[in-house]
Amino acid sequence: MIEQIRNQARKLLEDGDVDVVIGYAEGSDPSRTTPVFIRKAKDVDKLIYDPRCINSLPLYLNKRHEYTRKGWKKTAIIGKGCDIRAIVQLIAENQLKRDEIYILGVPCEGQVSHPEKWDGSLHDGNRATKCIGCDVMTPHETDFFPGTKPDVDRSSPYEVTSPKVANLMELELDKRFAFWRTDFDRCFKCYACREVCPHCSCNVCITDETTPSWIDPAAHKKGVFSWHLTRAMHLVGRCTGCGECTRACPMDIQVDLFNQRMKEVVQESYSYKPGYSLEDKHPLITYQVDDREDFIK
Amino acid sequence: MGKKIEIHDFEPKIMAFVCKWCTYSGADLAGTSRMDYSPNVRMIRLPCSGRIDPQFMIKAFEQGADGVIISGCHPGDCHYNEGNYYARRRNTTFRQLMDFHGIDIERIEFSWISAAEAIKWTEVIDAFTEKVRELGRHPQYDDEIVDPYAQFLVQKDQESA
Repeated sequence: MIEQIRNQARKLLEDGDVDVVIGYAEGSDPSRTTPVFIRKAKDVDKLIYDPRCINSLPLYLNKRHEYTRKGWKKTAIIGKGCDIRAIVQLIAENQLKRDEIYILGVPCEGQVSHPEKWDGSLHDGNRATKCIGCDVMTPHETDFFPGTKPDVDRSSPYEVTSPKVANLMELELDKRFAFWRTDFDRCFKCYACREVCPHCSCNVCITDETTPSWIDPAAHKKGVFSWHLTRAMHLVGRCTGCGECTRACPMDIQVDLFNQRMKEVVQESYSYKPGYSLEDKHPLITYQVDDREDFIK
Repeated sequence: MGKKIEIHDFEPKIMAFVCKWCTYSGADLAGTSRMDYSPNVRMIRLPCSGRIDPQFMIKAFEQGADGVIISGCHPGDCHYNEGNYYARRRNTTFRQLMDFHGIDIERIEFSWISAAEAIKWTEVIDAFTEKVRELGRHPQYDDEIVDPYAQFLVQKDQESA
């Protein structure tokens, strides 16, 4: 499978169809892979793909990163299903044009949740929670795909994969707050969750603004709730659920529980699933005259 | 017409973010008509209910508000045609977010109040103030409200004194 991808990448680079291929290469130790930017056809053999490739590559397509300002006309990117969902969402938000991107789709059987848990194979013990109930193991939007794509029904509603969301919803309000209180006590606002997010595309993040200072950016408790609520609110209806925020968190705070819950809410209220359509606008920038308003007096 | 002044143990702090075309004018009408309503509410006038960023509400709670009211024109009456429709969607999701976070969504009130509905404004404010008074103080962000830098200043003053 990876041979077909390499051949296609080589062909694209030799013909000058793309300027760069973004993919995965062997990392610093055998349990890790690293993102790699390939610009010369002779380097194509570096590309690999296996269940260790959990990094979300669409991050490098986000306009706030310098990679997008290098003057590359066309970028090829290796995408597993969930990454392609993120790319599709970026295109739907006009952050990216479809013809700037060449998507090399890969069939995916799931990813390892943490590199430390990699023991040579993928099994139920080390599979990432986002891969349970995944409907894009065969990617939906590709320019090149090794083999033939079977038809997959993707109309089913969004499934919350983390059991913690349901558990939290069953708790009483105070207990739920206590859970977040203890979790957020560890947060020292490194903003890793923002840095890895493919959808955080503000040029100046609201926490970096100083006039006025909406969220206190220093590493004390003040502003911790504010930051996490704001982050979750900005991603309502846009988060495609790659789970990178939780994976990047140095203090193991499960920040993507918020995103999962909000995906469920958006699905219930506006039957919208982010990342599946190139045209549909996300629900908070559109409206229906007869939207639900049972909470309004 | 004046109400009997009651003394309570706890007076809630309530922030109101209101649209200037409808609710603010409605509250203005309540004022010029000499209507009585709870003095616990602090209003902030904004161009439209669509301008009310959830950030404002988060900040209000973080700085010690016990309840927040958002109010704007009735659907179809928006001065900018569609601002309140966006506000409605935004608040549907924001309330769920606060609920998941563990904050009582009874503390957030959303209401459509037009410029002519001064009576509705006084009723909404009185009812909400009463509700928040029963819920009591909003204690969740207590250790956030304390400004660590100000704390440092206070300690330093005490040491030198």
